[in-house]
Amino acid sequence: MRLSVLRLRHFRNLGVQDLDVPPEGVAIIGDNAQGKSNLLEAIYYLETFRSFRGARDRQLIAFDEPLFRIAGALESSSGKREVSAAFQAQGKRKKVTVDGAEMDRLTDGLGQLAAVVFSPTDVEMITGGPAERRRFLDIVLSLSDARYLQAIQEYRQSLARRNAALKAGHPSALVRAWDPGLVRAGACVIERRRRWVERMATPFREYHSAVAGGMGASMRYRSSVDVEGASSEEDIVGAFGEALKASHEREVRLGTTVVGPHRDELVLRLDEEGGGLDLREYGSGGQRRTAALALRLVEARTIREVRGQDPVILLDDVFAELDAARSERILHLMEREETGQVILTAPKESDVRVRRDALPRWSIAGGRIEA
Amino acid sequence: MKGSKDEVRRLSRALVDLADRIRPCGVCGNFSEDDVCGICANPKRDHTLVCVVEEAFEVGAIERAGHFGGVFHVLGGRLSPLDGIGPEELNIASLLQRITDAADPVREVIVATNASVEGEATAVYLEQRLRPFEVRITRLARGIPVGSDLEYVDGTTIAEAISGRREM
Repeated sequence: MRLSVLRLRHFRNLGVQDLDVPPEGVAIIGDNAQGKSNLLEAIYYLETFRSFRGARDRQLIAFDEPLFRIAGALESSSGKREVSAAFQAQGKRKKVTVDGAEMDRLTDGLGQLAAVVFSPTDVEMITGGPAERRRFLDIVLSLSDARYLQAIQEYRQSLARRNAALKAGHPSALVRAWDPGLVRAGACVIERRRRWVERMATPFREYHSAVAGGMGASMRYRSSVDVEGASSEEDIVGAFGEALKASHEREVRLGTTVVGPHRDELVLRLDEEGGGLDLREYGSGGQRRTAALALRLVEARTIREVRGQDPVILLDDVFAELDAARSERILHLMEREETGQVILTAPKESDVRVRRDALPRWSIAGGRIEA
Repeated sequence: MKGSKDEVRRLSRALVDLADRIRPCGVCGNFSEDDVCGICANPKRDHTLVCVVEEAFEVGAIERAGHFGGVFHVLGGRLSPLDGIGPEELNIASLLQRITDAADPVREVIVATNASVEGEATAVYLEQRLRPFEVRITRLARGIPVGSDLEYVDGTTIAEAISGRREM
C-alpha cells in the first residue's frame, strides 16, 4: 500500500497544503517543533480517525479555524481509494468519507489506510500499566478483525453499565442482568487476543532477537479468567461466567467488575539467557525500546498477513534514542521484510540512513513543507 | 416557512391537539386517545399473548408488519444504570400485575426489546421476573435481514442466525 497524495486543511500547524508523496516514501528533515510529528499524526489519522499521540480532536484544529480536514489518495493491490476525515469544533462533528461516500459509522471506514507508526513514545507500551498493552492489542485486532471490533465495543458498553449498577449498589439480579452480554462479548475478546498472541509469539521473539543482536523475548497473554483448560470460545464463555460468579462478593464490595478482559495482561519477558526478566519491571531503557520496536514489527506483520497489505511505515524520529548497532539492525530488518513505502522524520540529514540514502528529501519549517 | 400561513396554523393546531388528546393506555402504555387503547379494547385480539416492547412507537412498527394478533406492553424504556433507569422507572410492575389479574391467563410473553446491549440486559432481567409465573417466555429471533446478501451481513448477526437456525 502507498499514500500517493495527502491533502491537509488546518490540521495543527500544517495549514493548507497538497502533497504528492513519492512511491518509495520520503524523509522529512526539520528542527524540533516545526511539525514533523504532526505530519505523521495526520497520515495515521486516516487509519484510525484518532490521534496516535492521544490528543483530543479539538486540539488538532489550527488556532482560530472552525475545522480540520485530511484527505489521502491510497493505492494498493486492491485498487485506488480516497479516504478523508474532518472534524468540526462546533457540534464536535466528525465526518469520514471513502471514495466520496460518507460513512454512517466511523468504524465502517477504519483501516482503509494500512500503516504502522514507530514513535519514541512507544516505549510507554512496555513501561506503562497493563492498560497500555491492552490498548495496543485492541488497536491491532480491531483493525484486522471486524468481529473483534464489534465484540470489544459491546464488551465496553456492557462493562460500563454493569459497573454503574454495582457502584449504585443495585440488587444482585439487576447486576447479573448484564452478565450474558458481558460474557459473550468478553469471551470473544479473550479468545481472539489469546490466539493472536500465540500466533505472533515466535515472530515477536525473532524480531526482538534481530534488533537486540541475539537476545530473544517472549510474549504471553495472561487472563484474569482461568482459561488454561478452555480451548474454544464456548469454553471461555463457561469459564468467564464461573469467574464472575466466584468474584461476586468482591465486586460488590469494590463496586466494580474485577474479572474479565479489561483486567488481562500481555506479559513480555526476556528469554532465559536474559534471566527471564519481566521487561516492564526490570528492562533497561534499551531493552524496553527494543521490545517496543518488536511489538510494532508484529503489528506490521499482522497487517501483511491478515489484511494482505504492505503497510506504509511511519518512523517518527525513532533512531534518536537507539544506539548505532540497534539502529543498523532495524534498518536491515526493514529492508529484509520488504517494507513498502517509508515516511520518516529526522532532525538532521545525517540521521537518515534508510534505503541507503535513496529516499527523497522534504524539509519542514513552521509547518510548511518544501519538496 | 415556504408553506402558506394557513398550513402552518393547521399544523400547530394539530400539535396542540396531539398534546391534549394523546395519553398512555391505562393497560399497556401504548399511545391512546382513550383510557384504554384500540388494541387492548379489541376483543378479537389474543389477550393471552403479550408482546413487550421498549417504546410505544415500536408498537406501530410491529402493527404495520400485520403479522401479530396479540396485545402489547410498553416498558417506556430499557435498563440503563448510566442514566439512572432501573426497574422502578419502567412499567415492569404493571406487567406482572397484568399477568396476575388476567381474566384469560396469559400463556406467552414475547420479549421484543431491542438487540442492543441494554435491550438484551432488559430481556434477561424480565425473564428472571417472569419465571415465577406459569407463562411461556420467548425472545424475538435474531438473524439475516430479508432481502440481504450473506456476504454483507456482519459476523455477529451470522453467528446468531446459525445458532438460531431452524429445521426445514
